[in-house]
Amino acid sequence: MTDLLQLPWHEARAAASGRELVEASIRAIDALNPKLNAFLHVARDAGEGMPVAVKDNIVTAGMPTTCASKILGRFVSPFDATAVARLRVAGCSVVGKTNLDEFAMGSSTEHSAFGPARNPWDTSRVPGGSSGGSAVAVAARMVPAALGSETGGSVRQPAALCGVVGLKPTYGRVSRNGLVAFGSSVDQIGIVTKTVRECAEILGMIAGHDPMDSTASAHPVDDYAADIEAGVRGLRFGVVREAVGQLEGEVRANFDEALRVLRGGGAIVDEVSVPTIGYAIAIYYIVANAEASANLSRFDGVRYGHRSARAKTLRQVYFESRGEGFGDEVKRRIMLGTFALSSGYYDAYYGRAQAVRAKLRADFEAAFGRFDYLLTPTTPEPAFPIGAKTDDPLSMYLNDIFTAPANLVGIPAIAVPSGFSRSRLPLSLQIMAPRFAERALFRAAGFFERETGYWRELPPLVLA
Amino acid sequence: MKIDRTEAKRIADLAHLEFDEAALERMAGEMTKILSYIDQLREVDITGFEDVAAGERTPLRDDVPRPPVDRSAVAANAPAFSDDGHFIVPKVIGD
Repeated sequence: MTDLLQLPWHEARAAASGRELVEASIRAIDALNPKLNAFLHVARDAGEGMPVAVKDNIVTAGMPTTCASKILGRFVSPFDATAVARLRVAGCSVVGKTNLDEFAMGSSTEHSAFGPARNPWDTSRVPGGSSGGSAVAVAARMVPAALGSETGGSVRQPAALCGVVGLKPTYGRVSRNGLVAFGSSVDQIGIVTKTVRECAEILGMIAGHDPMDSTASAHPVDDYAADIEAGVRGLRFGVVREAVGQLEGEVRANFDEALRVLRGGGAIVDEVSVPTIGYAIAIYYIVANAEASANLSRFDGVRYGHRSARAKTLRQVYFESRGEGFGDEVKRRIMLGTFALSSGYYDAYYGRAQAVRAKLRADFEAAFGRFDYLLTPTTPEPAFPIGAKTDDPLSMYLNDIFTAPANLVGIPAIAVPSGFSRSRLPLSLQIMAPRFAERALFRAAGFFERETGYWRELPPLVLA
Repeated sequence: MKIDRTEAKRIADLAHLEFDEAALERMAGEMTKILSYIDQLREVDITGFEDVAAGERTPLRDDVPRPPVDRSAVAANAPAFSDDGHFIVPKVIGD
């Protein structure tokens, strides 16, 4: 019955009942999760519907939400996130909550208080992060689709490393109500699926205005799958020169091959300059962490979550609960963010980062004046071994070098499988489009997927 | 930008985070390294973009009352909650 989960879901829906689909999903989770650690919670009472998994920083009524942090304790949300409620209305059933880097801070899922998730293509390697559990759950065919969240690439990067489709929608396209806040000006709920069409269908379910999130746009919800078959003839793709210049070896060769596929479909592919793109990681680590330092001040041991047993005064409740509850990476980011906002450094760090961000946005606008899409690889390298970067935060951060710009600029971007390295690790193409051009994004991604068909390839562990 | 132990302690106090001596020393070193990378932002000419950054505002919705979250759900999540509906914390004055 696991086979059901290998079908595109419109075929799976036709072949089985909602109850059979959920049962197949739970069986697959039970069989594979001990090896992969993708799920932190399995909803054995999930009922019926199209099974979906939800990253464990998106709240779900009646289930734990941990953010993969000790500081949340046994927190159970009284309400569903808007995106989750909309999935349920559309006939989906949440079968579990997926592993992540604590509070979505990381690029490998190694910063989880509940142990790392593992890449199904090679379990000695990371699945990427922070939505690693969601990417693993889809790649190992435990669920047809999963929600993740993005702040600097946290859906696209793990989707790339696990060989599945990952979408970061336009900022404001999906309500953030119920997504535990990290960097409020960059956060966006994203989607992981096997195929582009499934991704477009899920976006149609969860997109749209929400009175509970004033940044959720009233821009009309599109028919996102409408142009998936339309091809790319005459469409203009800009290859970001500053990003591609530094590529080497098999990532470079794979990217060049992807360009040939697009040209073969009649696309116009040319180079374009986005001069400030190289500053994205530096901007990101000031802006996102400054916002995080404010957002994470709510975890203080008073209203929910962990309270230190040692605390005898209110001040000790704050300091010791946070000291015990947060992991090292979260503390590092709160410290950086607090520094960047502190008196005497605000203008030099936060103010300057926001100004360079505005310049980056202007550079992207200029590039989209000449091109319908911008292209880079999704990541500079395939999945790295567990432990390889945990002692060097900066080298971990640089894994998001191609993905973070879209978050800072607020545009949609999709990661599509583009083949494999010599050691059979997934590689991925990133396609970016202007704000609210998701339908066009699915058109290009759909063409590329049809021409290449990599989504049909399965990790050895699933075939075993 | 070099972050020494004293500066790390100042930031930790602002951030309400407790570190032991070794962790504070390590944090100072890591922050110094990360900030040295971030310092490349200084080389960018931001002429014409200073005001753009200041002008961004998050849209706000109207402040309309609506039913609150169920109190029993709030109580169930609280580390300490009184029968008459309050969060309980240790004494505030005297530390």
